[in-house]
Amino acid sequence: MLQSYIPVLLVVAFVVANAILMLGLSHFLSSTRPTAVKLAPYESGMPVLGDARERFSVKFYLVAMLFIIFDVETVFMLPWAAAFHQVPEFRGPLLAEMLVFVVILGVGYVYIWKRGALQWD
Amino acid sequence: MTEVSAVSPNWLTTRLDFLTNWARANSLWPMPFGTACCAIEFMATAASRFDLARFGMERMSFSPRQADVLICAGRLPFKLAPVIRKIWDQMPQPKWAISMGACASSGGIFDTYTMVQGIDTIIPVDVYVPGCPPRPEGLMYGIMLLQKKIKGESFRDADLRQEHLVGPDGLFLPAERIDEVSEPFGNSVQQTRSA
Amino acid sequence: MTASAGSGTVAAAPSPSVAALTARFGPAIRRHEVSVGDTIVYVAPDRAHEVLAWLRDDPGQRFDYLTDVTAVEYRDRERPLEVVWQLRALGRGADLRVKVELDPGRPLEVDSVYDLWRGADWLEREVYDMFGVRFRGHPDLRRILMWETYREGHPLRKDFPLRGHFSRAEQTRQALAANPEAHYSIQELSIAAAYDELPGDMKERLSRGERGDVA
Repeated sequence: MLQSYIPVLLVVAFVVANAILMLGLSHFLSSTRPTAVKLAPYESGMPVLGDARERFSVKFYLVAMLFIIFDVETVFMLPWAAAFHQVPEFRGPLLAEMLVFVVILGVGYVYIWKRGALQWD
Repeated sequence: MTEVSAVSPNWLTTRLDFLTNWARANSLWPMPFGTACCAIEFMATAASRFDLARFGMERMSFSPRQADVLICAGRLPFKLAPVIRKIWDQMPQPKWAISMGACASSGGIFDTYTMVQGIDTIIPVDVYVPGCPPRPEGLMYGIMLLQKKIKGESFRDADLRQEHLVGPDGLFLPAERIDEVSEPFGNSVQQTRSA
Repeated sequence: MTASAGSGTVAAAPSPSVAALTARFGPAIRRHEVSVGDTIVYVAPDRAHEVLAWLRDDPGQRFDYLTDVTAVEYRDRERPLEVVWQLRALGRGADLRVKVELDPGRPLEVDSVYDLWRGADWLEREVYDMFGVRFRGHPDLRRILMWETYREGHPLRKDFPLRGHFSRAEQTRQALAANPEAHYSIQELSIAAAYDELPGDMKERLSRGERGDVA
């Protein structure tokens, strides 16, 4: 059974070799001439204005959290869907179980919707 | 890489040169520093009828960090001089510059108090493309000249990839040289009204 | 500015604002003329601001749009340097040109009309940059077309040579040493950097296009 994974190993090896080749070639063939101006931040030729470490809105974090939760829910649905067709005699209860799962998460969805977490501003 | 200038040319070094120059010449990513009318002609050259994509130049880089060739298309006012200088300095080696049009090459029709009389007083230029504006065929000829120049390069050349910075006197070229190349010529010598 | 009926090739009648101005200000209105259908009024320099304010506010005039502020120096050195305000009454569709004559031998100063029309902000900066006319009361009079540290003078004056006073090398050196960021005002910079911290009603005003005073 492990035989079928050899192509994967070959692809990984090829990718690694390719990356090493590209980086190595450009490292040895390149000319690096660092100067003070070259290393300075690029701002369309103008002197740099403002801080690079600007404050980020926390809304991005919130969106990421919400995405993860519902994404994981989707991920749980995938093996369920794969196993669903293996056992035709349990189709009813299986469907009911998944619906319960979805409804529980749906309650959470309604909660964040009403709390305004889906509003950007 | 410049320390190996003591290496004598042999089959291996010439093949290596050929490969790197071929790769560089056929994938020049331009930084379009388009300021005026020549920029329109540059866009026309990049568009479908004349097509820069066949040179590998369809990927315009508006950040100097990822650009190979700075194409200054258009007149350059003195106010914009520190900007192009800084952008040129921020381009990593290997880099080349094409001065497109009469204004970038020599100040063009603008022999006045505002315009730089040729960007070669500010940055080192490899190819000058004349015209006001140059036809797309003219610009492509200039690009092909640059490709020919690149293909003639060699990594054994010690002073090829050198950064020519602005000197301690605040100038890139010596002052007399700047004055010499900025002398009025052609019809400009008639434009002497000062009072 | 009603042109006389007919082919209109005869000298057109001046704008009715001229009569109203002479009635209101008398000797401050030195003279007027009509040039290709445009009415030009010459005003005494010390009363220019008053005249322009009246032209904006009087119900019969209502010149609410300042089209341009500019200056003229003639090649004939006997003629004075003129500062020109081009006004328009948007409601009536009427134009008027107001001019003030300044002696080029003396310092060139006029009152700013920034308090009357906000558009005068950059227009007067341009006149200052190109001619050296100082506008009294302008909040931020600095160069706008040339860079801030430009030292060669005022380019559109007739005694300014075409290629500038300095040599090309010197111009290049000064240009390379100039700081391009210096031409933002502190107001503009603070708005750009602090937009997120602006209060809600101010954001709303800015998004509607109003520019109130930045506190």
